[in-house]
Amino acid sequence: MDTNIGPSEMLMHLGPQHAIQPGPYLLDLRLKGESVVDAELKMGYIHKGIEKILENKTYLQGITITDRICYLAAMSNNEVFCGCVERLVGIEPPERSQYIRVIMEELSRIQSHLLGLGEFSTDLGFVTMFLYMIREREEVLNLIDTVTGSRITQTYLRFGGVREDFPEGYEQKTMSVLNDLNKKLDQHEELYNTDRIYRQRTVGVGTLTKEVATELGVAGPPLRATGVKFDVRKDDPYLVYNDLDFKVCTQKNGDIFARIKVRLDEVRESIYMIEQAFDQMPQGPLFPEGTPYGRRTPVMRVPPGEVFYRVEDPRGEMGMYMISDGSDTPYRVKIRGPVFPTMQALPPLILNTYIADVAAIAASMDGCTSEADR
Amino acid sequence: MIDADYILSSLTKTFPNDLSESKIESDMRLTSYVEKDAIFNVCKHMLDNLECNHLSCECGVDYPDRNELEVVYHIASYEHPVVITLKVKLPRDDPEIESIVSVYWNANWYERETYELYGIMYKNHPDLKPLLLIDEMLGDWPLRKDYEGFPNKTSKNLV
Amino acid sequence: MGEVIENVGFTTTSAISDFLKKTPAQDIINWGRKNSLWFLTQPMGCCGVEMISTGCSHYDTDRFGIIPRDSPRQADVIVISGYVTKKYLPALKRVWDQMPSPKWIICMGDCSISGGPFYESYSTVQNIDEIFPVDVFIPGCPPRPEALIQGFIELQKKIMAKKDLGTDY
Repeated sequence: MDTNIGPSEMLMHLGPQHAIQPGPYLLDLRLKGESVVDAELKMGYIHKGIEKILENKTYLQGITITDRICYLAAMSNNEVFCGCVERLVGIEPPERSQYIRVIMEELSRIQSHLLGLGEFSTDLGFVTMFLYMIREREEVLNLIDTVTGSRITQTYLRFGGVREDFPEGYEQKTMSVLNDLNKKLDQHEELYNTDRIYRQRTVGVGTLTKEVATELGVAGPPLRATGVKFDVRKDDPYLVYNDLDFKVCTQKNGDIFARIKVRLDEVRESIYMIEQAFDQMPQGPLFPEGTPYGRRTPVMRVPPGEVFYRVEDPRGEMGMYMISDGSDTPYRVKIRGPVFPTMQALPPLILNTYIADVAAIAASMDGCTSEADR
Repeated sequence: MIDADYILSSLTKTFPNDLSESKIESDMRLTSYVEKDAIFNVCKHMLDNLECNHLSCECGVDYPDRNELEVVYHIASYEHPVVITLKVKLPRDDPEIESIVSVYWNANWYERETYELYGIMYKNHPDLKPLLLIDEMLGDWPLRKDYEGFPNKTSKNLV
Repeated sequence: MGEVIENVGFTTTSAISDFLKKTPAQDIINWGRKNSLWFLTQPMGCCGVEMISTGCSHYDTDRFGIIPRDSPRQADVIVISGYVTKKYLPALKRVWDQMPSPKWIICMGDCSISGGPFYESYSTVQNIDEIFPVDVFIPGCPPRPEALIQGFIELQKKIMAKKDLGTDY
């Protein structure tokens, strides 16, 4: 960014520590009056080198590391890693395991969206909604905790299956919590929609068009809010998503209001999917029979090969490219996180907006710095 | 309907000399090696004629045994579910390749990241500088296999 | 109206002055400090999410006087909630310098204690206690909100035991 400032211009650093941020990043802004004329995003404040670490861990140890790529979507990160290894080894989880994975991943999506909505609201100064959302999220986290024994970094998936089966009575407990959540979401949405100040700050602000969004490579709810029907669960189906009935939630306007609406709709859609998955779930083993894969898979070698596998993270398309050279550690792992391109699209998006809207726009993208930096 | 067969035949017809070791894994997966000088035109052709309007990922891979670096592009689309994996071999001593930022805008950060982690130079990149690491670490290329600042205490090949 | 007010149990001025007379100044200073531990919300990693949850209504740290603040200028406690990288360390030091004394540090999670799962990384800094004067360590990856509350209570005990007349910070 050009740091030579002209008349009535000023430079402003937003970050690396700032209240609107889900993690540290630095947003350098050049302001003319109140509007942003130039912006640059600087990353890497929590770059941990996960790709290098994964190259030096055995496959089973790697699952634990993938939890910590994005701490709000540990389940999808496990899924993308385990899915890569399963494709290289050539096994498929039994149907019951696949349904359990779907249920847990959708629960994980719900809690991630709830936190995303909450953080966005608090950045607008809508703190009531933040506390509501975190309250609902605690209920969903309890559900995840019941099965996995951990709140956010679960390490729940294993190659060819899942670590634990559901406890007794889990279906009734889950559905009662989720039905409750469904009712509360309606109230919350009304609260969003009827608030005059909220509408003034979100409708028509930070608008992305369909063409620009696809060109910038934005992923997930911000992309679907512009009307692009792109969802890996539909377009490149994995697990048993083909057997479930769900629609891809889209909006037309592409502004902040539409992004929030997409997230709210996706939570409802996830609840609907979980309900179906519970109904269709068969009994059976958790791991493919006749294979050595189980809860405690011993150190294993993976046949040479390479695979690119992608899943739908709460924030969009998450991919992993894995190369195996036949040893017990991966040769190369590349993580394609959805937030990396979304954060990249932030500087062009906030050009020519008011400085007061920057916080709202940045928060509405629901960025997770940890995943972008890896 | 665009599928892997269609894309491969279109690419081989347009670039008969530049593709090698092409492999169709399934309807939705296609892998191919591309010559170093042709990658820009291949990407442009895919964007313009084959609806491949989504660069999913771009990364580097190090092969010290062959004394080569590879740049791997995963190109997908919002219209059809095919994912094309293109690979380019570069010499390890002087890795240099044409940047594709003018074709796919979001390649910008991927290329900056690959540059600082592997030392691959991108020609005609608008702003090639480190993205994730501190400036002092530039030149270490930490994701190369012979990087020494990494304490290697993990178990290796226990079987 | 006068009758109603008489029936309400107010703290009378004599009760406060009795308390002040009978208690050493040191204890009063420490008592005030321990019950207004405002911490800086500065999420850096997985633990940051748990820190946010802890500050919200479900775990309700407000009952201990522990309230999240957004600005380092208003905070008493900084929670190092995650991996400190070489790039972020200078910024973190500056945030620490911006906080007014008296101030305390809590290291939350394995990453900030020893490097945790990212011990081998080329980019992170291990052993934060060599750089910052850490008061409380909370192990876990990430620690549950209950553990963070326990860490705060340990810190309150530590503050209560301090004997320096409020000068040595």
